[in-house]
Amino acid sequence: QEVDMQTQAESIRTVFSDPTNFNVKHPLYSPWTLWFDSPATKGRNLPQTPSSAFPQTPIPQTPGVAAAQGWMEDIKRVISFDSVEEFWGLYNNIIPPSQLPQKANYYLFKGGMLQEGIIPAWEDEANKNGGKWSIQLPRDKNRGNVDRMWLYTMLAAIGETFDPAPILSDGSGKAPKSLITGVIVSTRPQFYRLSIWTRLAPSATDEDGLRERIEGVGRHFKTSVLGFQEGQKLGGPLATEVEFLSHKDSEKKGKSARKIIV
Amino acid sequence: STAKSGSVSQPLPSALATARHIENLETVPYPEGIKSPSIDLNRNAKDGKFRYDRAFLLQFMEICKEKPDNLPPLDAIGLEPVGDQAGLAMSRGGSGR
Repeated sequence: QEVDMQTQAESIRTVFSDPTNFNVKHPLYSPWTLWFDSPATKGRNLPQTPSSAFPQTPIPQTPGVAAAQGWMEDIKRVISFDSVEEFWGLYNNIIPPSQLPQKANYYLFKGGMLQEGIIPAWEDEANKNGGKWSIQLPRDKNRGNVDRMWLYTMLAAIGETFDPAPILSDGSGKAPKSLITGVIVSTRPQFYRLSIWTRLAPSATDEDGLRERIEGVGRHFKTSVLGFQEGQKLGGPLATEVEFLSHKDSEKKGKSARKIIV
Repeated sequence: STAKSGSVSQPLPSALATARHIENLETVPYPEGIKSPSIDLNRNAKDGKFRYDRAFLLQFMEICKEKPDNLPPLDAIGLEPVGDQAGLAMSRGGSGR
């Protein structure tokens, strides 16, 4: 057995031992798709030329998705990937949030071309019962931080470390689903916003004990990912705390919204 | 539209495109100085579904720089860098999402 392991190890070349001829890559817990929108994507019809041809944003046709069609119209699919190596190839060839136009969004959501595509919309089946952790940061003070914050947010998402216990098993014996469906960075003239979307949101009575798990995601986001102290006050002009709101409460536009703050 | 028309000669597929997915993290040898993925995060890993800590992931940053074959031209989707001064005139609020 030891010899077998030895032989096997010799035929495995990661990008660390051979950056150009590696033969294995590190699969991610889920495939991911990056989406983008900005004023410049509005009404833009793709593809424009044969040489830049790529598929028109293909969207899985589920009922929830049909309802989100207006919202999704101007959001462009950039690329899907399912390995660590592909993530970095993308990261190193795309622009960071600090260089985006002033009203733009990156949406990194689970799903690839073939598998469980979650679109960045409340209406998607995977999002409709969920909510989001978010933080708003003044643009001026955070121009130098936002790129690192977004990178660390993406790494916690694709590395699947936001949810300490991905235990949403569907009983099929397959690997369980985690709470996270996607992450977003938004640039605005006055501020940046980072968000983590979750599959579920705690109910008022919290009969399923979900609140503790959701709060765990928020604390990890605030301390390990964004680098703040636990209990540190963050709210202020143009700034918010790290706060959770269910999508259903977001739709009510503030009325009777129950925010969780970590 | 025709994604295939006007195609130029296909370059050889990159290592990125042909490399296979690791099935068992424990069989992977890492060179000295490279930190292995966290064992704790992968105790009950199934179906090649692995979790990775940030320190492990960051080690790829300076190595994996090749542009993915399937990345569309960024200007075609309106994804172009702006300087600090560009776009200052635009100032509308967000959607709230």
